[in-house]
Amino acid sequence: MSGLLERIAGKLRSYREPGYYTKLDHKWTMVIDLDKCNGCEACVVACYAENNLPVVGREECEKSRAFSWLRIERYVEGEYPDVKVKFIPVMCQHCMKAPCETGCPVYATYHNQDGLNVQVYNRCVGTFTCATYCTYDVRRFNWFTYKWPKPLEAQLNPDVSVREMGVMEKCTFCIQRIRSAKDTAKDESRPVKDGDIKPACSQSCPTGAIYFGDIQDPESVVAKLAKSPRRYRLLEELNADPSVIYLKRVMGDGTSSHE
Amino acid sequence: MKKLILYAVVGGIAFVIGYFVNDQFFSDRAPVQPINFSHKIHAGDNQIPCQYCHIYAERSRVSGVPNVKRCMGCHQIIKTDSPEIQKVASYWDKKEPIPWVKVYNLPDHVYFPHKRHVRAGVDCKNCHGDVASMARIEKVSSLQMGWCLSCHTKREVKNGHDCWTCHK
Amino acid sequence: MKRRDFLKFIGIGGVGAGAGFVLGKVSKPPGAKLIPYLIPPEDIIPGVATWYASVCTLCGAGCGTLVRVMEGRAKKVEGNPGHPINRGGLCALGQSSVQALYNPDRITKPLKRKGPRGSGEYAEITWDEALKTLAANLIELKSKNESEKFHLLTSPLGGTIDRLAGEFVSAFGSSNYSHYGLFQRKNLAFANLSTMGTASIPHYDIENTKYLLSFGADFSSTWVSPVNYSNGYGKMRQGTGERGKLVQVEPRLSLTGANADEWVPAKPGTEALLALAIANTIVEKGLARDASAWRGVLSRYKAKDMASICDVPVERIEAMAVEFARTRPSLAIAGDSVSSYENGISGAIAVNILNQVAGNIGVIGGVMPNGDDLGNGKKIDFGRKISTLISAANADKIKTLIVYGANPVFTTPKAARLEEALSKVPFIASFSSFMDETTAHADIILPAHTSLEDWGDDFPDPGVAAPVASIIQPVVSPVFETKSLGDIFIELARAVGGNVAGKITAPNFAEYLKASWKGLYSRNREMAAGTLGFEDFWNKALQRGGWWGPSRKMTATVSARAGEHLTGAPARFEGEEAQYPFYLIPYAQTAYMDGRGANLPWLQELPDPMTSVVWGTWVEINPKTAASLGLKEGDMVNIESPFGKISAPVYLYPGIRPDTVAVPIGQGHSHYGRYAKGRGANPIEILPYKEDPLSGEAALNSTRVRITRGATGERLVKMEGSTKEFGRGIVQTVSPSEFKRMKKEVV
Repeated sequence: MSGLLERIAGKLRSYREPGYYTKLDHKWTMVIDLDKCNGCEACVVACYAENNLPVVGREECEKSRAFSWLRIERYVEGEYPDVKVKFIPVMCQHCMKAPCETGCPVYATYHNQDGLNVQVYNRCVGTFTCATYCTYDVRRFNWFTYKWPKPLEAQLNPDVSVREMGVMEKCTFCIQRIRSAKDTAKDESRPVKDGDIKPACSQSCPTGAIYFGDIQDPESVVAKLAKSPRRYRLLEELNADPSVIYLKRVMGDGTSSHE
Repeated sequence: MKKLILYAVVGGIAFVIGYFVNDQFFSDRAPVQPINFSHKIHAGDNQIPCQYCHIYAERSRVSGVPNVKRCMGCHQIIKTDSPEIQKVASYWDKKEPIPWVKVYNLPDHVYFPHKRHVRAGVDCKNCHGDVASMARIEKVSSLQMGWCLSCHTKREVKNGHDCWTCHK
Repeated sequence: MKRRDFLKFIGIGGVGAGAGFVLGKVSKPPGAKLIPYLIPPEDIIPGVATWYASVCTLCGAGCGTLVRVMEGRAKKVEGNPGHPINRGGLCALGQSSVQALYNPDRITKPLKRKGPRGSGEYAEITWDEALKTLAANLIELKSKNESEKFHLLTSPLGGTIDRLAGEFVSAFGSSNYSHYGLFQRKNLAFANLSTMGTASIPHYDIENTKYLLSFGADFSSTWVSPVNYSNGYGKMRQGTGERGKLVQVEPRLSLTGANADEWVPAKPGTEALLALAIANTIVEKGLARDASAWRGVLSRYKAKDMASICDVPVERIEAMAVEFARTRPSLAIAGDSVSSYENGISGAIAVNILNQVAGNIGVIGGVMPNGDDLGNGKKIDFGRKISTLISAANADKIKTLIVYGANPVFTTPKAARLEEALSKVPFIASFSSFMDETTAHADIILPAHTSLEDWGDDFPDPGVAAPVASIIQPVVSPVFETKSLGDIFIELARAVGGNVAGKITAPNFAEYLKASWKGLYSRNREMAAGTLGFEDFWNKALQRGGWWGPSRKMTATVSARAGEHLTGAPARFEGEEAQYPFYLIPYAQTAYMDGRGANLPWLQELPDPMTSVVWGTWVEINPKTAASLGLKEGDMVNIESPFGKISAPVYLYPGIRPDTVAVPIGQGHSHYGRYAKGRGANPIEILPYKEDPLSGEAALNSTRVRITRGATGERLVKMEGSTKEFGRGIVQTVSPSEFKRMKKEVV
């Protein structure tokens, strides 16, 4: 018996070499400039289009089962006429110390060598644990196997699985685009360059508020922006070490901000 | 009552056995194709390289079935009297593609690029077997995840064990 | 064990194994087929995506797109990073154009009416029959010398297709070709015509301005060219230079207003007076740069007089005036809260005057006239209004009407009685690909391609102070039995025969388009530069998505005669204040625009950016007002104007004046497919029929309403939990002064 346990532990160790979480190939990071974001939600539709997100309909929306991996949160402060509105796009923060990963009983969500928090649909058994552990409420559950009325299914992206009932899913940082960029780079025998990868949300953003890149590369745009004095991370005090960095919005405290 | 449970258990075990017998011994590993195409003649006897017909293997995730024009490119002249070739010609004349039966079928959630494997120097034989000796193409690999991983392990593929290397 | 039992076990075992075997057999995937190409297409590698450059036509902005196509199917529409209008971005509506292409409710074949008009009951016919029926009708009209009784009504088309449609109508012997759209911005164009001499919208250089004063221009969501302006906005906020400031004047905080540094909720209908008061203050304080023509006019609009009318403190007007004049460059833009009133032209002229007084016209970061549109821009014919069409129909002056792209039945108020007028038209044909409310009145439907299947071109208006010509090319083969819009006109011309066929001789629209571009190429030396003849130019343009030249700086001379259109009074609203206490602001929402986006499932499920409501209509009411009426969120109310009533659930919105309510436009369709039909309410229905006599633009902000309880209908479905942060510091901010200090530290 103990021999068997030792073998299992050894097997696990071989997947969890020392430094597995610290020496990453890449550390994909997103920087979102809240001073540029105007809340137009172009990114939300881009995400639906890229990642085969189903439209669930009015009744399911009412049960808060809408699928948006990426949402624009909106906060309203004050009373008329001193109303302040703030927008923030929230998607999976790809935490380096992700609470969801510790919860999954079947290792369906784990951290890979790119610093991504990934979800393996084939492993997922739908215990919902990760969604309850998630700090940012970004995980979405397939309550049903959703259908696309013909011929809408012709639009489905062949690079992304169409998920079935009972599976948890979430933002992947458009891992299929990362994969395809790596593929192209490999064909050209070069490392992935900064700017090769643009997730769908970042690509579509009319104001150019969403930046994406490898923060381990000191020359990358995200590495430079990450040093901005406006930088902060969402609910940083919870210590989940998220990979999404926000740049604070510049905003007056009252209406009489002119000099 | 006790007996009923016993019947159910026996029936259940038999059911599972039947299922696996079907799966293991009655699966059509070499389905009959609409045209009695022989890889042995093409790739074996005549030594035509794989990528002469499967033209996308090095450029795309799919290797590509040869288009009918490519077949006719040779067979307008070669062996036009053979009844099988005449079948090909009849498809060409009807302007219909040939409905080949798929032998190697991967599930939709797998990302498998032929390109990466071909460019990494994996021989076609590694997965498709000795096609040059097959009169009718036959599936020789299980295409199961363990089979993929055993090769990734052997060849020490970078991140070859990461789920998202192959799953999508 | 008894022998009997043993046999039973054998039996059960046999049946079980057999059942397992059969299940194994059945559950195996059926022999998947490998279907090769007959002849491989040259530019396609299976499994590798191809990107085609085209243009988005979901609104009039003309953003360049790249469409990802795999195995002949359009997968995704993205902004073309090289295109000067949108520079890579694309809005929610534009990205959903792929759902218009693959919409399950498209009209798949030509149809002939079966039931009564408006019922939407149709029988399928062949293209041959459809073209013959329509041609026979037109030939009959011609033979009776009633060519003038043929009308063509389209959405604001531009470029080559517009020319072809015009040629068709004129060759037929009619002069009745008109454009119609709810958001044509005709007031703005008319104001620019009378102040600057061109009936178009100039390039507003938001990118380089440092003080943007927007009069209700919701450029983040739908106003004129949202992606271009949003791109500029991003650069204005966090570009290379100093951070620009945005001030929004509007009664209801729009998406753009939500991003503004200051919100000035002036009284609805008085915003133009506020603009004039600001301009006058600039003149009075001696800060004006170019006021010679306006000194006299402006002296009537003293800040202290206007303050009470506009409900804006006089100190605030003065502070805005000083900042607007001193900050260089500054820019004022005339959006819906000046141009959507019954005196919208006056309002837009007031903003032009303000820009001129502050010296913002023809400067970087200000108003930059576009100049030459390569001779193909969207021409606005102010004389052709929807009212012209309605009165012609009522006077039996329309025998045959062809409609394409426009949906006036949905976008004109009930008070206009358009449906009644249409019932007097003996024959209506529609070229629409969707069963919209207007198409449902058609006797025959000849469905045209969507823009992803069709050829075309676009000369964006407003441009970017540089010549831009983009090409629309088919990226997928037609999904259904539809035809290219241009081909329908060409084939119809052939079927009608006579001089119509003599005039339009091109074999198909693709050839017609290419010939048109050949003409453009031969006339334009900039286009020809660096190309090896037309074919080379054409192929490059197809690859790039079009052709665009270097930007040119244009100035405009401002005519003081524009002053004659200034009304100098607040805009009027229908309904007595005592009976109808609230101003109604119907507004264009991000996703649905004028209602065209309502049939696209992604957009129905897209939470409204300001309220997070999905799949329905709502009415925005200030919480204080709601409390005084005893209303809480989600209560169903009737919104009643002197012209009718609709009902919608209440959404409590602090960003709206207490004397105002707002309802988004776009829902309340009676047709238009499974996603749109029978959902929400259409606020346009209860508007008065008020059309500007000069420009023809409908006045959307023109009635008062009352709110009463007791309605029944759909519940409010919103995605938000709370709009409060509860001290969690989710969206963190820095003050402008702190930001300035930060910037210095970094440098």
